[in-house]
Amino acid sequence: MGTSRNVERRTILKVAGASAATLGLGATTACGGDSGSGDGTVTLRYAWWGGEPRTIAIKKTIALFEKKYPKIKIKPEFTDYEAFWEKFQTQASGGNPPDVFQNAVGFLRKYDKRGVLMDLKAQADAGNLSLENFRNGVLANGQVDGKQIGIPVGANTMALVIDLKAFKKAGVEAKFGWTWDEYFDALQTIQDKLKIAGDTGYFSIMYLYDLYLRQNGKAFFTDSDLGFTEDDLTQWWEDGYKRVRSGLVADPKKVEQVKPKSALSAGLAASEFTWDNFSIRYEGEGESDYGLAPIPTTDGKDTGQYLGSLMLSAFSGTKHPKEVAQFIDFMVHDPEVGKIMGYDRGILATTEQYEAFTPTDDNNKGVKAYEEEVAAAGVLGKITPHPSGTDVIEAAFLRLGGEVAQGKTKPADAAKALFSEAKAAFAG
Amino acid sequence: MTLVKEAPPRPAKKRPAAPAAGRGGRRRENLAGYLFMSPWIAGFLLLTAGPMIASLYYAFTSYNLFTPPQWVGLDNFTTMFQDPRWQKSVEVTLKYVVVATPLKLLLALGVALLLAQKRRGQGLYRAAFYMPSLIGASVSVGFVWRALFSDDAIVDRTQKIFGLDVGGWIGNPDYVIYALVALSIWQFGAPMVIFLAGLKQVPQELYEAAEVDGAGPLRRFWNITLPMISPVLFFNVLLESIHAFQVFGSAYVVSDTRCGPADATLVYTCYLYQKGFKEAQMGFASAMAWTLVIAVALVTAVLFWSQKKWVHYEEAAK
Repeated sequence: MGTSRNVERRTILKVAGASAATLGLGATTACGGDSGSGDGTVTLRYAWWGGEPRTIAIKKTIALFEKKYPKIKIKPEFTDYEAFWEKFQTQASGGNPPDVFQNAVGFLRKYDKRGVLMDLKAQADAGNLSLENFRNGVLANGQVDGKQIGIPVGANTMALVIDLKAFKKAGVEAKFGWTWDEYFDALQTIQDKLKIAGDTGYFSIMYLYDLYLRQNGKAFFTDSDLGFTEDDLTQWWEDGYKRVRSGLVADPKKVEQVKPKSALSAGLAASEFTWDNFSIRYEGEGESDYGLAPIPTTDGKDTGQYLGSLMLSAFSGTKHPKEVAQFIDFMVHDPEVGKIMGYDRGILATTEQYEAFTPTDDNNKGVKAYEEEVAAAGVLGKITPHPSGTDVIEAAFLRLGGEVAQGKTKPADAAKALFSEAKAAFAG
Repeated sequence: MTLVKEAPPRPAKKRPAAPAAGRGGRRRENLAGYLFMSPWIAGFLLLTAGPMIASLYYAFTSYNLFTPPQWVGLDNFTTMFQDPRWQKSVEVTLKYVVVATPLKLLLALGVALLLAQKRRGQGLYRAAFYMPSLIGASVSVGFVWRALFSDDAIVDRTQKIFGLDVGGWIGNPDYVIYALVALSIWQFGAPMVIFLAGLKQVPQELYEAAEVDGAGPLRRFWNITLPMISPVLFFNVLLESIHAFQVFGSAYVVSDTRCGPADATLVYTCYLYQKGFKEAQMGFASAMAWTLVIAVALVTAVLFWSQKKWVHYEEAAK
């Protein structure tokens, strides 16, 4: 029986060890070494998420910076969006986040609450970072409770990306100020004529529902809570599920299988809602031509849109606040950097960079034309709050919307679940 | 009992080389022994025991990684038992364990029986059948699986030939779990090798005697092979079910990291991971981990208790 005893002990240890390892509670957080060296050279860690084109461009801008500031070395860290925030959370909890990193509106309050983000006002006052020349007031996107914890690198807005060939073939046109009814009628025509779905699953996108609510005088979030009722959301998801069953929205089973490719570029549907600066992915992934179209409205005018931002933030505990500020200043103001980055992270945020860059390819031209059109239409409103927990709620919204689409959860139950998960997310 | 001989070699307790060495020699030897073990002991204490004790504490706290843990008593556990997603993850995991483990072991035993007979190239066959166990847990195989079970891929097309047109399994919440089950069964090589070792130990004369008495192949299997390999079978059942409870990688990769669609592949560890690392609810995640430890310990205990009834150890029979 010696063997079985042995087995028991070994396996139990293994199970226990594995569970503990899964938790990563032993996460050792080395201090990353000393980032300064004898000759006055300092090293900053700079982290971002994004695809390969962004990484290539950013690396070029880093080289420019290091040429101008020979005493500052930049150590890049990059990965995709989901992995970025997992890694960041672990690093930040261990007191070891990167010195400078890409950030988004939905994460500001979360990491401000946790004391991770540096208020860059002091550095601006010291003359290491200029807060001038930001276009369209986007600088405010990086402000929380009077603190400047993010410096925008671009401005983006939600858009409807359409398969131009499909729209043309079906003879439908996307017009400014069109209503949701007109939009769904257009999708119906596409479905009738081309036998493909019209949309890839609009009702699971939190930022689109936000626009819809804004059109109706509400918003997805208030300062500390959800800005709508369970009934509102139940209705939204019931309508969505109805459209899945009628084939107006693509079969979620098929959408799931083409991931990580988008269902629009996979040809499963003729349109998809996303941020306008993401539209470049479709050209690379799909075989059709893609363009940006206006967001449908409720009243024939208001799209509910606003300018969001990707931004750069700094770690509050960095050993080199001055160098960090100089780096951010260079990245948001230097014209050459603007030329290299283009509109990958949205329309360039400062006038210096905006004027330095003239789009030549169709995609960047399209993004520019789109944002100009939106600005001219006068539909851009003020950004509404994004409380701590926004990221978790966005993921829950996507997941629960997916369950509704699959017919696995009733809209009312899914709405109830979202409210209960949101409560936990706000508290976290 | 034969298996005892196969137990992993322990650090043999050597007798002192010469009786003259006496007590001092033994103490020095003990010290050397502990010194040699110290890397493992340090690793165990720092990387296993320490975090485990910490996580036991966290299980009773609310802990978001940033602010110090706050004692909440049994809150995590009560929230957990009422959480529909936790219930779903238990359901998914149990389904996986109950379906995948027996099928995998049946296949492993069947193939082991075939390979136990002497034939040409048996080494090659064994290696070939064992291969998936080596690579099965890799991320790349997860991607291959995703491709195999998608629309218009090989599985879908084969089904269509038989008129079972359900589309790809990957996007279908009702089927995707079986793609994971298939991936687990495909890795039957590891238990198979253990079965093979067990089969080799069955004394040939028992079969000869049974044959003389007129027992057919089924009878011989049922009355000789099965009881004789029951300790090995027990070992495999234990190991495979414990493994199955901890499945993570395949669910994570096959579902494109979301453990979906519609939580259909939300295995226990995947939900634990989401809670801990995506939502930063480390207290809740620790409570989940300890619940799993206790559940697996209970399953193990039940198996050990049940072995009295069906596992046949030779020395006990003597």
